[in-house]
Amino acid sequence: MRITQQKLLIALLTICLSFSGCTTVAPWQRGTLAKPQMAPDPHPVRNTYQTHIYNSREATTGMSSAGGGGCGCN
Amino acid sequence: MAVTKSTSALSTSLQALTLAALSLPGLMPLNVHGAEDDVNLLYGYYEEGNRNLSGTKSRFKPITANSIAGTTNIKLSDRVKLGFNYDQDTWSGATPIATAPLAFGGNGGNGLGRVIGGATPYLQNSNVLFNKQLLPLNNAGTQNKQLVQTISSASPEVRNQGNFKLGYEWDESELDVAGGISEENDYHSRFGNITGRWDFNQKLTTLNLGLSYTNSDTSAILDHDATPYIWETSSGFNAFNTSNHNFQLAKNSGNTLLSGNRQDWRPTLSLTQILNENALIVGSVGYANSSGYMANPYKAVELAYIAPGQTGDILTGKTIGLLEERPNLRNQWTENLHYAQNITGLDAALHFDYSFSHDDWAVNAHTFQSDWVQPISNGWTITPKIRYYSQSAASFYTPYLVTMQSPSFIYNASGAITGQTFNASKLPSYYSSDQRLSAFGTLSGGLTLSKQFVKGVSFEASAEYYTHQGSLKLGGGGEDAYADYNSYMVNGVLKVDLSSLSTVINRIKTSNDNLSLSFLGTDDTSHAEHDHSHHNDHDSQENHSGHDHHTSPAGVMFSHMLNKSGDAMVGVRYMRDTQGGNTLQGSNSVSDQTIANNGCGGKRCYDTATMMNMNMIMLDLMYAPSDWMTLMLMPQFVDMNMSSRAIGSPLASTPENFDLQQIINHHTLHEHTTGGIGDTGMYAMFKLLNQSNQKLHGTLGLSAPTGAVDIKFRDTHGIDIGYQHYGMQLGSGTWDFKPSITYTGNKNKYSWGAQLNGTKRLEDSNASGYALGDIFQSTAWGSYSLLDWLSTSIRGVYTAQGTIKGQYNGTYNPLGPVDYTSNSGGRYWDVGFGINAFVPSGRLQGNSFSFEWLQPVNDDVNGYQLPRSGALSATWGYGF
Repeated sequence: MRITQQKLLIALLTICLSFSGCTTVAPWQRGTLAKPQMAPDPHPVRNTYQTHIYNSREATTGMSSAGGGGCGCN
Repeated sequence: MAVTKSTSALSTSLQALTLAALSLPGLMPLNVHGAEDDVNLLYGYYEEGNRNLSGTKSRFKPITANSIAGTTNIKLSDRVKLGFNYDQDTWSGATPIATAPLAFGGNGGNGLGRVIGGATPYLQNSNVLFNKQLLPLNNAGTQNKQLVQTISSASPEVRNQGNFKLGYEWDESELDVAGGISEENDYHSRFGNITGRWDFNQKLTTLNLGLSYTNSDTSAILDHDATPYIWETSSGFNAFNTSNHNFQLAKNSGNTLLSGNRQDWRPTLSLTQILNENALIVGSVGYANSSGYMANPYKAVELAYIAPGQTGDILTGKTIGLLEERPNLRNQWTENLHYAQNITGLDAALHFDYSFSHDDWAVNAHTFQSDWVQPISNGWTITPKIRYYSQSAASFYTPYLVTMQSPSFIYNASGAITGQTFNASKLPSYYSSDQRLSAFGTLSGGLTLSKQFVKGVSFEASAEYYTHQGSLKLGGGGEDAYADYNSYMVNGVLKVDLSSLSTVINRIKTSNDNLSLSFLGTDDTSHAEHDHSHHNDHDSQENHSGHDHHTSPAGVMFSHMLNKSGDAMVGVRYMRDTQGGNTLQGSNSVSDQTIANNGCGGKRCYDTATMMNMNMIMLDLMYAPSDWMTLMLMPQFVDMNMSSRAIGSPLASTPENFDLQQIINHHTLHEHTTGGIGDTGMYAMFKLLNQSNQKLHGTLGLSAPTGAVDIKFRDTHGIDIGYQHYGMQLGSGTWDFKPSITYTGNKNKYSWGAQLNGTKRLEDSNASGYALGDIFQSTAWGSYSLLDWLSTSIRGVYTAQGTIKGQYNGTYNPLGPVDYTSNSGGRYWDVGFGINAFVPSGRLQGNSFSFEWLQPVNDDVNGYQLPRSGALSATWGYGF
């Protein structure tokens, strides 16, 4: 299971990288991507808070990087 | 002013375009959100629903958590960025500490004859029955496999976290270094990380690499009621389960202290790729290596011993609670995929996230999340969200344990187990009953509504409902329904983009000269043209210094109004009050014996406070609907901590004194904390006199009782201790009338002011049975401007407050002077020293900062009270 997932991710990353060879989106064509709703995280402050709550109630810590966060002992 | 009025529409679109241009991938890193210079303030509230206790009704409230967070990012130069972040969480309420078959009856009483509605963590020394298949039987011998959680309450606890980030940008890359600390009474964490970003492939692709390290210490005072899990050996204290320890136990001033350390290393890698004009994808991999003490010191595992060799259909056993044992190593991998697609025609964006996480504890977790971000009109955006999470159980998760062996119990004189020996090799190496390590799924849905106001201020409100159910686990096989619960969380976010207004104005100016895009702060001559409420009625240095708003001491509230209709201001005010030292009677310190004899209204005092601190964070939201009136809304967040020590001769060790001694211990061995939302102020300020160098305004205000006045201690030894001290409650509990009148004046570099203000309680008692005393305060100050942007102040303050009326109307155990209402209020004299600064130009124009230290000169307290040590005020404001 784990190996399959890792392979899947490597494949996805490879696909991402392969886009770099063929995609051409000129800077003046990136107006849509620059809209606030297209930001990779459109609600960053909300998501930081909600992730903090999820992390204290679920066994995984996801992709959140280091940072105190407390032990969530309760 | 004319500039903005005539170009407001143009400004808004230019602002949007400028931000859009800045946000272009490559120009600004994709993983960085928000503006170049911004302030974000968050308030969040989380609450769980009641747990299903199979018919037992818990008198404990489920856990609730209040959170605030403040983040600011400032660009020090074109390439250097600095960020600060502060978080505070306060939580209280009951959560599960163990699980057992319902037939064990562990959730129903504490064995001491007191009736505790579900429940106290009495887990040990119960006789239990099993059939030959080791399935639990109730007292009548009927099989009952139903499990139930044992719930225990906790006194309020507070976590504070501060961290910083320093970043340097090159044309196509960035390096950030960050670090911080997180502090709780029982958990101390220090962390640092380094992240790098590299844009390549014509900035269509961005690579992010990160490495973080966290070092955390647990130092938990174990529950009095859990200490039977711990026993004393000739070599010291030890847990019943002595096999695999990565923690230490020690006696410390009468408390049992568990301490341990853990370390986490986390490298991460992510790749962002622009797929086309309407879509982008982010792929990430994270690894976490954790080592050390990762167990939860407050969770227990119920163990039943069954003596081997029993004959007959019914086997008898005895239960005991064990501290949980987790492996001291965990390797966790997470893979994440994020896809964002613009929905042409609707101008919306669909975001989809999938994460898979797996580790060597056998926890495999899938997370799916989708957000639909839909801009509506007039700056409104609505975002529905759905999230699904599923995890398998950790390999060592078990609701409870059964072992076929006869331990040797050690009893004390009253028949309680004080120790035992058993064959640990017959138990698993690791075990935990923490439901967070069980198999379950969660489903949550929510909505976020945001509004972008003009001038770079936006507000966002979110709500989410969450259900945790064993049956929601992907593929089935989750934990039984006894562990299910629901929760919800709501939050509000205020965002202030400090640079957007200045950016737009400067862009307008520079665009008149050339069409180049210029950043701010490079052209000081634009200052005179800025539409800024702080500046638009004066251009000279003298007028800057004479502005009451920049020179009033930080501790004076309602010191200024906004200038004219349409002006607005956002600010944060922090105040810290400290008390400590020898207890006073009137203005003189008194001996412990005097306090013990006289401090408690004719009864004996058993303890006295040694220190008390109160922190208040207030949000100032001001808006002027007309030139002569300013409205103000002031929500507050407060937290307090307090310590006490025992006084007078020790109690005789008799059974009659047992409960009282436990309550005294609970007060004197622990620092107590409370925190959460305070009262909310609503004010209207009216201009009464408005000359160029003299102003007078009156304020009428109401304080709404949004702060809790029913905060209680957690039980100890199964004893309901009742309400916390009056001074530890978060609000007044009553509607209060708060009028004031303020005079200010200025000439050249000097300015001055005076204020009278009062607080009149509009009700005789609050929901808990009492009302705080009324307050009258008078203050006067003088200020001198050292520089165009910097001034100092000095002031005097006299405050008088009445005593508390009434008293608690529920369970309450008064032990010391702080618990008696006659020991409240008094007359106080202070002198204050302040410094004020504001930013007159550049990117951060419009920001003001002030600090003041209030030094007590004299206290004349009613009854017996701690003297005040001083108060710090700090404010930040941004007018627009």
